[in-house]
Amino acid sequence: MRRVLVALAVLLLVAAFLPVDALTTNLADRFAGPSLAHPLGTDNLGRDVLARLVAGTRLSVWFTLLAVLICAVVGTLLGLLAGYAGGAVGQLLQRVLDVLVAVPTVIVGLVVAAVREPGPATLLIAVLLTGWTPFARLAYQLTLRERAREYVEGAVALGAGPGRITLVHILPNAVRPLTAHACLRFANVLLSLAGLSFLGLGAQPPTPEWGAMLAEGRQYLFAAPQLVLLPAVAVVGVALLVTVLGRRLEGRWSGR
Amino acid sequence: MSGLLARRLVALPFVLLGAALLIFLLPRMAGVDTVRSVLRSRVAEAEPDPEVAARVTAELGLDRSWLEQFLRWLGHALTGDLGISFATRTPIAPQLGAALEVSAVLAAGALLVAGLVGIPLGVWAARRPGGLADRAVTGFSVLGVAVPEFVLAPVLVLLLAIAVPLLPATGWGTPAQAVLPVLTLAAFPTALAAQLTRAETLDALGRPHVAVALAKGIGGAQLIWRHGARLALTGVTALSGMFFAGLLGGAVVVEVAFGIPGLGRLLYDAVVGQDLPMLQSGLLAVVAVAVLAGVAAELLQLALDPVARSEAET
Repeated sequence: MRRVLVALAVLLLVAAFLPVDALTTNLADRFAGPSLAHPLGTDNLGRDVLARLVAGTRLSVWFTLLAVLICAVVGTLLGLLAGYAGGAVGQLLQRVLDVLVAVPTVIVGLVVAAVREPGPATLLIAVLLTGWTPFARLAYQLTLRERAREYVEGAVALGAGPGRITLVHILPNAVRPLTAHACLRFANVLLSLAGLSFLGLGAQPPTPEWGAMLAEGRQYLFAAPQLVLLPAVAVVGVALLVTVLGRRLEGRWSGR
Repeated sequence: MSGLLARRLVALPFVLLGAALLIFLLPRMAGVDTVRSVLRSRVAEAEPDPEVAARVTAELGLDRSWLEQFLRWLGHALTGDLGISFATRTPIAPQLGAALEVSAVLAAGALLVAGLVGIPLGVWAARRPGGLADRAVTGFSVLGVAVPEFVLAPVLVLLLAIAVPLLPATGWGTPAQAVLPVLTLAAFPTALAAQLTRAETLDALGRPHVAVALAKGIGGAQLIWRHGARLALTGVTALSGMFFAGLLGGAVVVEVAFGIPGLGRLLYDAVVGQDLPMLQSGLLAVVAVAVLAGVAAELLQLALDPVARSEAET
């Protein structure tokens, strides 16, 4: 089961590099059903739906991965820092997190889009502004927990400084829970990005992106529901896949 | 007064002031020439007369220091004067009030569904961990979190408005028109509530006071509801920030997808139409609602949780 999940995840990452033609329009061949030439049919402009879904992984999957990685690194560093400094710094981080956790990414996206032009960079900024907070919270809690362990006391007794203890002793013990958490966050970020694109704040036509495809297909919901359902399956499928993977990692590594 | 509520209340003025300042600075960050925007919203002229521009600048107080402008703007906002929309050229306050009313109904409906469905589901799942009910509820909650509003909205329309034409697909005003949006918006909080209630109930059932209750011969439904679920509720309300963020973000998508004239739609239209005064007012409303929701959740928690109450009293 786990191998299947990992294989699917790798397939998704590779799909972005497949040479597919997602942009050629053919108005004579609009709303076509499945055929050999177009396995999933064509959309309102006669473009190949499968090719658009595959090309959409670039913005949907890879972009999400990039965003989650940046959030994970920034959030973890801040959490470690606050956890090790403790006291007032820790309190300050907690208060900042209390506020930011209640700020919805969609609203941040709207505000960023008002300040800048809509586009992928706008999406990235919107996600980064709020996305680092769960990692910071987790890293902070893990640091507090690990700091109380005997091995840290031992390292302190041996003369290790705060930087060495945090990076060499605490961080390696925090990597696994953070990785599992990153999988769970991946789904959240994927849905946020696709949601912002659905609202027209992200990928602009004709760029293939799942959320944008869904928004476009909504106009033809009555005549061609597959134009909504196929990107919907892609988004939900990937979100579920990564969530299940994350839950399994979490369960395995926490020894349950 | 110690505890969460006190800490929040101390941080509150700073958060509010910071948020207001950010919202005030928004047009500057956007690089918008306010005078030009104002003039263009009043007269359809591409290039304003410099003399008129100077007069409007003085009229709006834009020649003073930014701090003075900020305090003036804040004062106006606090007394209910939110300015005039660039798009509709009418005062913002009544429009915002109407939008808030619509969104409040939508959010209340979704929270009601989440409470009435999600919490019992979570308790039901916790009664026998690993059992059939538990697995079904866990599966549902994973699905509820993984299916976003922008997917659920068209799928529900397809199922209940097109395939089986039971309900209207768009609009707002009749109870029938509210069903699909409320269901769409409720999916995430319902799933979250089920998940959290399950975890909290399991945790609560492992506590010593439950063992005492068991020893006294209290069992079954009374044990679960009086001793387990009650404690679980406090944990769920403590995480209301997550509910709120999910609800508000979801409301934007749901209101746009179903054509509902609420706060989310107002914000969206303001961004698309570059209507900055409207956007600023909408954001102020969002912050105010967030703060009120946070304080309400704390008070609810105090009412439900004797431990938090005794902490707050000392």
